Formats: sequence, structure tokens, C-alpha cells
Amino acid sequence: MDIQSYIASGKLELFVLGELSDREREEVLQLSKQYPEIKKELDEIEEAMFAFDNELGVKPSDEVKDKIFDTLSQELDAPKVTKEVTSTPTKEVALQPWKSFAVAASIVALLAIGAAVYYAVRFYDVENRFTSLLEERNVLSQELEINKARFEETGDQLQTLLSNNYERIPMSGESFELQKDALVDVFWDKASHEVFVSVNNLSSLEEEKDYQLWAIGDDGPVGIGIVKPGEKLKLQQMEAAVSAGAFAITIEPKGGSEAPTLENLVVIGEVA
Amino acid sequence: MQEEQLITGLRARDRQTVDYLYEKYSKALFAVISRVIKDRDIAEEVFHDAFVKIIRKIDSYDESKGRLYTWMANVCRNAAIDKTRSKEFSKIQKTNTIDNYVYGLEGSSSTLDAVDGIGVKDLMTNLNEEQRFVVECIYFKGYTHSEISEEYEIPLGTVKSRIRAAINVLKKNINRI
Repeated sequence: MDIQSYIASGKLELFVLGELSDREREEVLQLSKQYPEIKKELDEIEEAMFAFDNELGVKPSDEVKDKIFDTLSQELDAPKVTKEVTSTPTKEVALQPWKSFAVAASIVALLAIGAAVYYAVRFYDVENRFTSLLEERNVLSQELEINKARFEETGDQLQTLLSNNYERIPMSGESFELQKDALVDVFWDKASHEVFVSVNNLSSLEEEKDYQLWAIGDDGPVGIGIVKPGEKLKLQQMEAAVSAGAFAITIEPKGGSEAPTLENLVVIGEVA
Repeated sequence: MQEEQLITGLRARDRQTVDYLYEKYSKALFAVISRVIKDRDIAEEVFHDAFVKIIRKIDSYDESKGRLYTWMANVCRNAAIDKTRSKEFSKIQKTNTIDNYVYGLEGSSSTLDAVDGIGVKDLMTNLNEEQRFVVECIYFKGYTHSEISEEYEIPLGTVKSRIRAAINVLKKNINRI
């Protein structure tokens, strides 16, 4: 059947208004059991009518309410009184311990909740502090590793400097336009040919440039390595120099050149 | 309170439940009666009898035959209609009601003015004239649909579809009040 047109026929409204014949009422009830849409429509109509009546109405006077409850008092109160008489003694005995138990249980529960919250907060706090301690410890141990490596390096450098016969050749930029205050020391062992440099003062360079150290001997200048301007007062090991009358540093394209660019001469120092 | 809970409480003759029922429904049920009976004293008398009847006859209420409010409203409505058909009443009231109504039709919005809730007034203005007519007949004058049909010579099917349309509008707007 066509439910929508049945709903639209207006029969459901009349049902709620109580205006249908018994036969029609039965029909609506039957269909509302069969079709949820009809049931829903009936419910909605009823709610709408109740809301409408409720909004529209005025409260009957208080005397009416009193009178109604007067009329009904026998019916409403009578069973209650007998019920109370029979059940009161047993109830009271049963109720009291249960009540105090409930109170005790509630208090315990509250305390437990309080404790749980307190310890949860503390745990959270301690965990946070523990995590930050772990991190700190990691940082410290890394620093220690770095310092240890540095210390060993410095020890090695000191050892090489002291054990061998190193000659210190100071190179300065005083006589050049490029960097007047540039100051770099070369340490050279004539016997082992080993060369170190130690930067005192050297400006940093653009990305694509490098400082290159030259050993100037009888055969002309020989590139013996790149000098890092940032590592000040540290021994930087260079390539070996067999013979040299002077050492010099020039600025060269990154990686160094075959021959020095003389106009970029930064410092020079003669072997004594 | 859920409807089932309410019904169980009523069947157990629980005083608190009856009190709850009264507080929740007395206004609406009294409105159902006041629609048919204008005289407040008589309406209250009928309401008293009808409410007592609802409590006493709750065991004969059958959930499968409609919801609680529908049943209660029908008990009230029938009680009110029975009253209007009683001898003493028919002399004073019924003719009076029709006169009032005819006057109401001509004065167009006199029933509307009688409505106290502002929300309902709003609601009524959402209806068209035909719809308002049936709502006024049914809600304010207590007519049955067949009485409307006879009285105003409107075919029964037309009355039905106007009731349907009017209630549809009320349904859609009821959330606003």
C-alpha cells in the first residue's frame, strides 16, 4: 500500500483527536504496527498536539488539584501504608550497615582517587625530570668524548713539537696590502720534513676561496696544503716540505692551485 | 520520566507518579476540556472527574492502542463532550458557543486574541485561513470533524485534509514554542 498517501489522508490526525470509528481505529493501529513510518507519524502528531495543548492551556486552579488528590487519597495512600508497616523493621536493620558501608566505601574510593591523582602527578613530574637528566647526561658524555679527542690531539701535537726538532717560522702580512694584521706560524722539521701551521690571525674567506701554503725552495714554490683560517692557535698538519727558504700563503680558488697567484700573497716568512 | 515508567507507577497507584502526571499534563488536558467548555467552573469540574477517571481506569489503558497522552486527551475530550450533551448544560452553553463562534468568524481574529501564549499566536499566523478555521473549530470550539462538515457544509474529505495540513504546520513549528 501507499503509506505516504495514507499518512496524507488525515486519518492519523483524526486518530489522535479521537474522532475515528472503532473499525478505523483498529485499522490505524494495525498499520502502525506494520509500518514504522506510520508509527513515527502518529508519535509526532501526538507530541505536536501535546505541545500545542500545553502551550495553549492554563493550569487548573490549585483547589482542583487538592480536590483530585482528596478524591484519590484512599486509593493512593492505602497500599503505601500497609507496605511501610510490613517492611519498615527489616528495612531499617538492613539499611543501616549498608549505608555506613557505602559511606566508608565512598571515602575509601575518594582517598584512592586522591592518592592516584597525587602519585600520577608525581610520577609524571619525576619522569619528566628523569628524561631531562638522561638528555643532559648524553650531552655531557658527548662533550667529554669531544674534549677527550681534543686533549689527545693536543697531546700528540705537543709531543711531536717537543720530541722533534721543529723550527718556528713566523709569517706576517705586514708588507702586503691584503691583510696587514695577518699572522701565521709555520713549524718545520728539517730532518723529517714535517710541516705544521698555527693560525694566529687570518680573516675568513668566501666559500669558493682557500688559503694555500707554499714552501718556496730552489725549485720554486710548492703547494703543501690548505690552511683553515678558523682553527686558531692549533697545529694543522701540512704536507712534507723537503727544502724551503721561505713559506708563504696566498688566496687561491677552492682546493688550491698548481702555482701561486702572487698578487694574492697574504703572508710570507723566511726560514732563518 | 519515561512513558513506560510513568505507566508502571500509575498502575502501582504510586502517589508521586500521580503527582508527576498531574504536573506534567494538567495544563494540556485542561486545555482540551476548556476548548469544549468555556465556563471555567464547569471545565474544572469536568477536569476533576476526568483526571480521577484516568487514574482509576489506568488498568484499562492499552499501550498497544495508542500513546498515553492520546488516551488521556480522549478521556478528557469525551468527558467534556458528554457534559455538553447533558440536559442542564445544553440549555446554557452549546448555542452560546456557536453564536460566539460565528461572531469570531466575522471578527476574524477574536479567538486569536484569546490565545495567551505568544508562541501559539505566532504559530497560528503560520496557518492559512482555511487551516486556521479548522484549528479554531477543533481546538477552540471543540467541534468534531463531522460537526464542522455539517455545520459549514464542507465535504468531510476536505475537512480531513485541512486538519492534516494544519497539524503539519503546527508539527513543523512546535519546536519554536
